[in-house]
Amino acid sequence: MTSTAAVPVAPVLHAGDTIRRSDRRLGVVMLAPAVTYIALLVALPFLLALFLSLTNSSAGSLEFSFVGLSNFRAVIASPVFQRALRNTFVFTFVSQLAVIVLGNVLARALMRPFFGKTLARFLILMPWAAPISLATLGWLWIFDSTFSVINWVLKVAGWLGPGQWYYWLGDTTLGMVAIVTIHVWRMLPFSTVILLAGLTSIPNEVREASAIDGAGTLARIFQIEIPMMRPILTVAVLFGVVFTFTDMSVVYLLTRGGPYNSTHVLASLAFQDGVLGGDVGRGASVAIFLVPVLVVLAIVMLRSSRRAEVV
Amino acid sequence: MHTRRQFVVRGTKLVGVGAAAAATGPTIFVRDAKAAGQLKILQWSHFVPAYDKWFDPFAKDWGAKKGIEVTVDHVGFADVVPRATAEVAAQSGHDIHMFIGLASAFEEHVIDLKDVSTTLEKKYGKPVELATRSTYNPFTRKQFAISDMWVPDPGNYHKEIWTKIGKPNGPVTYDDLVWAAPEVKKAAPQMQIPIGIGLSQDIDSNMAVRNMLWCHGGSIQDKDGNVVLNSPETLRAVEYAKKLYSVGMTQAVLSWNAASNNQAFNAQETSYILNSISAYRTAQDNKLPVLDHYYFVPALKGPTGIQLASEHVMSGYVIWKFSKNQDAAKEFLVALIDASRESMLGSKLYNFPSYYGAAAEAGTPMTKKAESGAAWIAAQCNKDPFGSNPPDKLALLAKSLPWSTNLGYPGYANPAEGEIFDTYVLTDMFAKAATGALSPKDAMMEASTRAKEIFNKWRQKKMVGGGKDK
Repeated sequence: MTSTAAVPVAPVLHAGDTIRRSDRRLGVVMLAPAVTYIALLVALPFLLALFLSLTNSSAGSLEFSFVGLSNFRAVIASPVFQRALRNTFVFTFVSQLAVIVLGNVLARALMRPFFGKTLARFLILMPWAAPISLATLGWLWIFDSTFSVINWVLKVAGWLGPGQWYYWLGDTTLGMVAIVTIHVWRMLPFSTVILLAGLTSIPNEVREASAIDGAGTLARIFQIEIPMMRPILTVAVLFGVVFTFTDMSVVYLLTRGGPYNSTHVLASLAFQDGVLGGDVGRGASVAIFLVPVLVVLAIVMLRSSRRAEVV
Repeated sequence: MHTRRQFVVRGTKLVGVGAAAAATGPTIFVRDAKAAGQLKILQWSHFVPAYDKWFDPFAKDWGAKKGIEVTVDHVGFADVVPRATAEVAAQSGHDIHMFIGLASAFEEHVIDLKDVSTTLEKKYGKPVELATRSTYNPFTRKQFAISDMWVPDPGNYHKEIWTKIGKPNGPVTYDDLVWAAPEVKKAAPQMQIPIGIGLSQDIDSNMAVRNMLWCHGGSIQDKDGNVVLNSPETLRAVEYAKKLYSVGMTQAVLSWNAASNNQAFNAQETSYILNSISAYRTAQDNKLPVLDHYYFVPALKGPTGIQLASEHVMSGYVIWKFSKNQDAAKEFLVALIDASRESMLGSKLYNFPSYYGAAAEAGTPMTKKAESGAAWIAAQCNKDPFGSNPPDKLALLAKSLPWSTNLGYPGYANPAEGEIFDTYVLTDMFAKAATGALSPKDAMMEASTRAKEIFNKWRQKKMVGGGKDK
């Protein structure tokens, strides 16, 4: 009788499997800090905000009871919230439109050789590097309702006659104009740098070929450069939109939501209600309204970045 | 099986979604828990910077005598409440937290200071009524804070301009402002804002509109904590503001921050503001041209004959329950009130003692202490040691107690009043009516609805009384 006992066979290791396994371990190790960071400092506070929005939690207390959706019902009925919601979209849309248009213009200007180009690039980056609190203090003076330097210049230039004055921060519309202006000033350098990188990456041969084919400036920009820059342009827009949508610093430092709570965006209103006013539940419910839009934006951003990667 | 690229892409997705969510989460910075033998005090950055130069060494010297290492951290006035919120959430931070407005929202997390209050009353007699009404909750019977000082809020007027229009002693009633506005425009056409009463989302405007409301007979709550904002008296006050705005103010007052009325007055761009003496001290320190014309009047009288102004600042020192140095903290608060004279002088007469008896001459019998303290305070105001010209320019401040009151008048300060203050319900009511964004009645109804919501919420937490709202 022949013994047919099974003989353990050593697994055949393919070089590809080993590399893939070590790749996987490396991936886990590399991502662990980021995942931990997100779990502790992003996911946890987010879940906490969601939880608090369903309670009557207040700033000075750790005790609360569940109130269901009543915070959401109350804020939806509030004219201040409705205004803030509208302002958030206006603020985001108008400022991003301005940033992309002006960023394109600046990036194209910076592509050309001119004397002092390095200094110009440095100066353009300054607003991005300056702390927003300090910068806004400067803008506060520029837009001050009594001492606005803009008004004084316009007065001297004869634009404003006797008794005419722009109350930048005392008027609902002008207040939003001031807020958008500062935000555009602040975001423009980032957008310019990204767009400049995009423009630089377009091979010169493409431009030369288009010139030989008779394409004019506008045709070159809209039919060649912008389509080629679309992935990077999308990333710049989406990043700017997310950043703008969630920003409260300019509003809080410049108008504090005034006059009569008419220039709030959702983030500043959430801070006012939840932290200053002490109604944490209500503040959290205002903040939660940011989430659906942000989730959609995040998905679009990730898809477009993946597409850019494929391209 | 995942490639490195897939890993990175999935990881990026997580980062992206997380970053999006981050916007909704709070950021909390809190110092480490304290060690024994230490006392950590959170203090505002005083509107008169000289005070901080007195307070910090005072606290450290006191600690040195007791063998306690005292740390004083200052924050801007706007960060006092957010900082308290963060420390309560973390259950860690300072031992003593100073509020410049209402500390009542934090009552649950502070210890009862009844023993400190009793000690102080035995030493100096009762504190001024508005201090009691700002630091004691009659509903929960808790002494949640101790006040060492309060600040009067007089009217500041430009004497030269008001002399030109025939009122050299300034306005006496609210109607005087309406009368004066067009006269100021004629006498000083270069002035941008004839009457500078803020209607914006800031601390000074919050007080100014309360003054207007009270002097017209209205209030947010009655003495028992019932919301009574919806009233003919409120409507009259709001209609008055609309009238005053149309004849004497501009949209600038809708955008003012805490410093704006000071700046406008010091630049001679307005003839009347409501403010403490901090703006005046700034004018003195900088030798501004306005200084010679800088004069004060008491709170204005309304058509009802009521003459009231909110305190400009009311200190409220609390000791957190999480503090491990509660006994030392209590001792410090007593020592701070012992030094009421130095505190008033350190602030260049900005701070007024909450315990008048603490400013009494040494050796004064208990029954005479408050009187003696008041006399000392009057002596400082009648002859300002900080260089007023004439020296009695601040004399009226010595008589400011009868026309000064607390937030929450005619009731006690409470968390609901605090939330209404901090979310600008009243300033919005006045501003919306003044600018025509809403009719006076609609503005009042909107504010009343919000006030009732806020009061009801705090009643459910059993921290505010009342319930028979109008």
